Amino acid sequence: MKASRIISVIVFLSVLGLIIYFTGGKWARTHVNYITATGDHPLNCLSCHLYTQKSGFIYKLVNKKYLSPFNLAVSKDGSRLYVVAQEDNSLLVVDPQKRKVLNRISVGNLPHSVILTNDGQKAYVSNQWSDNVSVIDLASAKVIDTLNTGNGPAGLSLSADGKFLYVVDSYSSNISVIDLNTGEERKRFNSGNNPTGAELSPDGKTLYVTSRRALIAPYGETIETELTVVDEGIQRIRDRRNIESAYMMENVAFTPTGDMAMITMIRPKNLVPSIQVEQGWMMTYGLTIIEQKENGRVIQLLLDEPNAYYSDPFDIVITPDGKKAFISHSGVNTISVVNIDSVRSLISKSSPEQLNSYSNNLGISSRYVIKRIKTGADPKGLALSSDGRLLYVAEQLEDRISVINTESLETVGSIKLGGPRIVTVARQGRRLFNNSGHTFQNQFDCYTCHPDMHEDGLVYNMASKDMGRNLTNTQSLRDIGDTPPYKWNGKNQTVYKQDGMRFSTVLTRTEQFNYKDLDALTAYIITGIPYPPNLQYNPNGELTESQLRGKAMFERTKDSYGNVIPENNRCITCHTPPYYTNLKMAYVKTLAVTDDSMLFDTPHLNNIYASPPYLHDGRAATLEEIWTKYGTEDRHGRINDMTKNQLNDLVDYLKSLRAPTYDNIVTKKFHAKN
Amino acid sequence: MKKHRTTIVSSFIMAIGFTCAFFSSCREKNKEGMIIFTRSAVKSNSTNFDKSDSWRYIPQAQILKLDPEKPEASEKVLTTNFYSAHSPEISYDGKYLLFAAQQKQNDPWQIWEMDLNDLKSRQVTSSKENCTDPAYLPLGRIVFSKYSADDTLKAGHSLYICNTDGSNMKRISFNPFSYLASNVLSDGRILTIGRQVFPEQGVPVYMVLRPDGTKSELFYKGVEGGSLFSPGLETNNGKLVFIESDKSNFGEGNLISINYNRPLHSRVNLSSEIKGDFHSVFPQKSGRLLVSYRKSESDRYALYEFDPEKKVLGKAIYSNNDYDVLEVVITGKHERPKKLPSEVDMGVKTGLLLCQDINILDMRPSATFSKSSKIKIVGIDSTLGSVDVAEDGSFYLKVRADKPFQIQTVDKDGHILRSPCGWIWLRPNERRGCVGCHEDPELVPANRVPLSVKKSPVIIPMHINKVVEKKVSLE
Amino acid sequence: MRKTLQKNSLQKAVAVILCGICSVAVINSQPIAEKSTVKTNPKDDIKPMPVYGHWKNFTTKEGLPNDHAYCVRIDGKRVLVGTHEGMAVYEDGKWTTYTTKDGLAHNGVVSIDVSELTGDVWIGTLGGLNRWSAGKFETFNQLNSGLPNDLVYCVYCDGKDVWTATGGGAGHYDTYTKQWEIFTEKNAPMHEPWTYGVSAGDGKIFIAAWGGGVIEYTTKTKQFKDYTDPDGEMEIDLLPDDGPVHDITTGTTYGDGLLWVSTYFGLSSYDGTHWKGYFDHDSGLASNFINFVRAKGPVVFICSDKGLSSTNGKSWVTYKKNDKNGDGVAIIKNYGRIDDSTVDKTTKELPMAPCVAHNFVIGVDADDQFLWVATEGGVSRGELLK
Repeated sequence: MKASRIISVIVFLSVLGLIIYFTGGKWARTHVNYITATGDHPLNCLSCHLYTQKSGFIYKLVNKKYLSPFNLAVSKDGSRLYVVAQEDNSLLVVDPQKRKVLNRISVGNLPHSVILTNDGQKAYVSNQWSDNVSVIDLASAKVIDTLNTGNGPAGLSLSADGKFLYVVDSYSSNISVIDLNTGEERKRFNSGNNPTGAELSPDGKTLYVTSRRALIAPYGETIETELTVVDEGIQRIRDRRNIESAYMMENVAFTPTGDMAMITMIRPKNLVPSIQVEQGWMMTYGLTIIEQKENGRVIQLLLDEPNAYYSDPFDIVITPDGKKAFISHSGVNTISVVNIDSVRSLISKSSPEQLNSYSNNLGISSRYVIKRIKTGADPKGLALSSDGRLLYVAEQLEDRISVINTESLETVGSIKLGGPRIVTVARQGRRLFNNSGHTFQNQFDCYTCHPDMHEDGLVYNMASKDMGRNLTNTQSLRDIGDTPPYKWNGKNQTVYKQDGMRFSTVLTRTEQFNYKDLDALTAYIITGIPYPPNLQYNPNGELTESQLRGKAMFERTKDSYGNVIPENNRCITCHTPPYYTNLKMAYVKTLAVTDDSMLFDTPHLNNIYASPPYLHDGRAATLEEIWTKYGTEDRHGRINDMTKNQLNDLVDYLKSLRAPTYDNIVTKKFHAKN
Repeated sequence: MKKHRTTIVSSFIMAIGFTCAFFSSCREKNKEGMIIFTRSAVKSNSTNFDKSDSWRYIPQAQILKLDPEKPEASEKVLTTNFYSAHSPEISYDGKYLLFAAQQKQNDPWQIWEMDLNDLKSRQVTSSKENCTDPAYLPLGRIVFSKYSADDTLKAGHSLYICNTDGSNMKRISFNPFSYLASNVLSDGRILTIGRQVFPEQGVPVYMVLRPDGTKSELFYKGVEGGSLFSPGLETNNGKLVFIESDKSNFGEGNLISINYNRPLHSRVNLSSEIKGDFHSVFPQKSGRLLVSYRKSESDRYALYEFDPEKKVLGKAIYSNNDYDVLEVVITGKHERPKKLPSEVDMGVKTGLLLCQDINILDMRPSATFSKSSKIKIVGIDSTLGSVDVAEDGSFYLKVRADKPFQIQTVDKDGHILRSPCGWIWLRPNERRGCVGCHEDPELVPANRVPLSVKKSPVIIPMHINKVVEKKVSLE
Repeated sequence: MRKTLQKNSLQKAVAVILCGICSVAVINSQPIAEKSTVKTNPKDDIKPMPVYGHWKNFTTKEGLPNDHAYCVRIDGKRVLVGTHEGMAVYEDGKWTTYTTKDGLAHNGVVSIDVSELTGDVWIGTLGGLNRWSAGKFETFNQLNSGLPNDLVYCVYCDGKDVWTATGGGAGHYDTYTKQWEIFTEKNAPMHEPWTYGVSAGDGKIFIAAWGGGVIEYTTKTKQFKDYTDPDGEMEIDLLPDDGPVHDITTGTTYGDGLLWVSTYFGLSSYDGTHWKGYFDHDSGLASNFINFVRAKGPVVFICSDKGLSSTNGKSWVTYKKNDKNGDGVAIIKNYGRIDDSTVDKTTKELPMAPCVAHNFVIGVDADDQFLWVATEGGVSRGELLK
């Protein structure tokens, strides 16, 4: 009796197991096929459900805290390196001879740059997510002061007399001038769009500040990105040079004689239909060179080659003898070495027409690029020893500093900074995100159009059907895991699909990510791209009076005349917290005549202030224009009854929206319904 | 004591094990694989591209295998059942050998695949016309050249792809060019020697195109008066090596290297200091090359090693006074090229062509030339239409797919300004761009919206008013 | 607005405004020098009233884009002039014009101010606001920003803040936070949103609001206080020195501890405790119809429809052009030290050939050497007489 009962139970369980196995397996296959938009992704639950957790025990278990060195500085005697560890919120003091980290100094959130005083006694570290600069006494290795800045401090420069600190406010697009005597911000200039790099000319009279994003202009107009020139003597803006057809001008360096300034840049092809990658039809990379003389020319030279692209140039340094420039290409893990005399010679012998042609010539780099040096993952900041003999490279996704001999042009060593030894799935995803190896001839990577995992502010002609139709404003990737579907037309139900086969067919035009890489990339995109804090408009969650009034407008159910607003025409209906999207498709009468008929995926609105231009084709330069110029028919919310004050309040509120994590709102796990 | 003995025995066994492992690994490391080569008793110097008796069809050729460690002793003919066989190619997993062969003297040449394990061969193609120069593509596909004479090609070899079992054969080149000696680059594209055959013979150049037949473009243009003979093969340091003749010794080969990154302007003659001729080359993993070389015309081509760094010939690996060693490959696994996605949609009848500025010529500014205001689209047998270019020099065409055409620039009075460009074809649903007209191939487009794309494309041939296309869904 | 004018029978004003300039452009801007908030005793500074002569006039013949000049602002070595057809910049003896083709929001430039901090030039036009920085124009308008209205009658830089008086209320733009605030009758003690002038001093913002007198806004406390004419909108000031002479204010300016308020019915000053009125019949004021005022230290320059007056509260100097030719006269009244015992109470006339270009004066600015005047007939520059 007992045995038969046991047998019955076993049989029952076996049958149940088989039922679960077959029906469950079928269900799992359907589910995975839907999520991945493929038919053969391995049925591995862990690859999705383990690595896409955004918080909690499992998240902590499968993820590690990395250092992510970003920028660095070398002491004059070469005995110390000061490395900004971006994800560790610290400045690492490194002995390059012993290849050892001596000290870790906690600074603000997401530190960006470090600069040393001439006497070598202090370091200033810009904290991009804290809106301040940490002042560090290097002898005691302690933060002795904190200087308030504008929003998103990035590049730093000291005035020639050391009395003022120029801070590039990358988010608010300003240059803060801080009086180091008082620690107070003396003035704040308006700069180009999303500035980062700052460098003082060798004579100490001119400060160059480079911008990353192009100035906002209607689609079709020439892309222009501002180089802001500060007269250091009188602390006034002397010039605002629009550099044509270039953007992402990350950093700038002057030759020691001061005859040239060299700026890293991307020359995008967003105005050209994206019909092929061959022949540089998507992106090219190079240097903008500005002659430092009366009526000095602006020359653009590519660093690419006809069948090889050197994506995402980030930093540039020039040796003290002025002979060589080193440029880090974070997209291809490479340092380009440029012979500056060859550049001078080329420029001096070329007519303006020839120079203009060179800016689009992939072969010209062979005249001045003398070496490509491979590095670890994602080389960012560069620093030369004061004698110029050693080049230090911050390998951001390697947690390592590589050391290059500038004479032999060989890597002579590396310094491990002590980050986790294992590469987690999400970290691998980040490496893939930042690397162009998965694009035909390395022409671009995810980061190229999504710098800082955000968006590049450009509108592209993706030529998805006929050329010249369906313009697309690049969308931010910040915290998008919970906001499917993707693409403006919502065609991709998951990040898997977004980055899968279609990605390689219409964009990268080379072999698609293998499933292991796709899993990693997806894990990173879903879990590893947080929003920056909204320090500009909502630093502490307390809304201003105007924002509160705007919130009421956002949530209102009746218009100014007391009429009930139809539910589908209320802001709050489609833009539901915490991401301010209901994840549904909508028609708000913003289709252009050049658009094919479609609905739009309701975009999420957190940190929306940081994503101009607006609407699917970027036609609205500001939030106001969404309604004042392009929403006049009351189809994108009831708006025409509003006074200007009310619209301003609404815009103020929209600008205050920030990531739910800053309000301790726990969001749902990654999901894609099936 | 017992414990001690056990320890000694264990240590001894482990030492033997490690030693064996060490030597076996060393041996493995040194081994490049078996050498597979072609030899022929008959000398052939024909370089016709438009005839079926091209220099690629070598009479009475044999494919052999030999062990590089003991070359003379290990020689084995693999194609004993064939009248002639050549163009060996090793699969990426190292298990199969692809080749072209004639079973009997007057049979058409077909593509065959041999299992290197049991040396059994399987016929891949069954064509009435000659097929030759096969190369492996990823995804179990191959590319090869097939002779044909039709309206499009007149007479010559087109490129085809098919599965390794011969199924799903598709033509991928559609212009009056003959394509031979193809190879697949690591970027996934097919590198092939192309030569115009209509209306007149052109010079052979390396062309590159995607396996779906899209984005065909010039890769390398040989020296003036020279000719290309062998497939261009990639080395492991970013170069391509091949054999090219020049004016001084037309029909005989120099060993040439170019950079993949900048193929048009990086030519180095590796054999400039060596007297004699080269016939073929194959890069080894070590970086050294295997070459077929002869000192003089009276000698036979023999197999040598070549040091590309020092530019010197090494020892002769194999020679036979009765045969020329013509081609060589090495067995073993090797890196698979990228699997390129395809934009071709056979449900679509046309392709789209955008030219950014017809007045961009070479590297010189357009101001020095008469500007074109119109283009003429010329087909094989007739003019397909004339189209006004936009104010910015751009034009935008919707062209019937898989049909060759040339574009000729004319002024406002209809006078021809410049000679027509090379033959172009577009695959179904292909979208293709060119920067200018006869422009420097190293030029990229300027970042501006071409005015022509603000309107619908002009349908070519122009007598067709409307093309009813399959609806292509939005990406 | 027009209703009010008609109600008060200000037909002349209407005629002049509609004929002379395309819009009622009451212009105000404030030189950097007197933006000090330190209140001083007038008797501590007993310099005599400055008198300007050796006039030079600039019209289209000399390079101005249009003779209708609405405002003038001295910016170091250059002079910026707003005209009906763009902004003209006088530098090194030459005029250069900037128009909408260069990025100007509108060619009708009615107000200009320069940021003391950054050197950026802020330009109020009849079609929006511009920031002109290192040669680049940036446009703020009611469609693309929080600017209350595109009719920007007055722009004033107060440290990092930029204030505008517009047809749709007063606007405050914080150049640090890049946020706009709008003040209208909805959230400030105004009669209607139309504002014509704005200036700052002593931590306060003074908005000249049409029909609403002067709105004082304390920047620290964000509190409003309004000063209106107890007589309402009556043309006659029944009770002297009881407040602003009229609720329809056209401009405000603050200097040397005094707030000056202009109206079409006279001038007022306010020292924080007492108001004082000035009229053409009881002072040296050229006319009660005042377009604009600008204080420079203890001296205030008053732009009227009958010439330019200046006063330190006691002495008066008025510049007038003869009707028949280009010559004119400086009418000097109560000239001398402010101390009564040294005042020359006689009125003297100092002939000037030439004098100001036109008696309908709309804008003025002065530095240590020159007085620049924007009129309906061109721009005039006078030199300080020693």
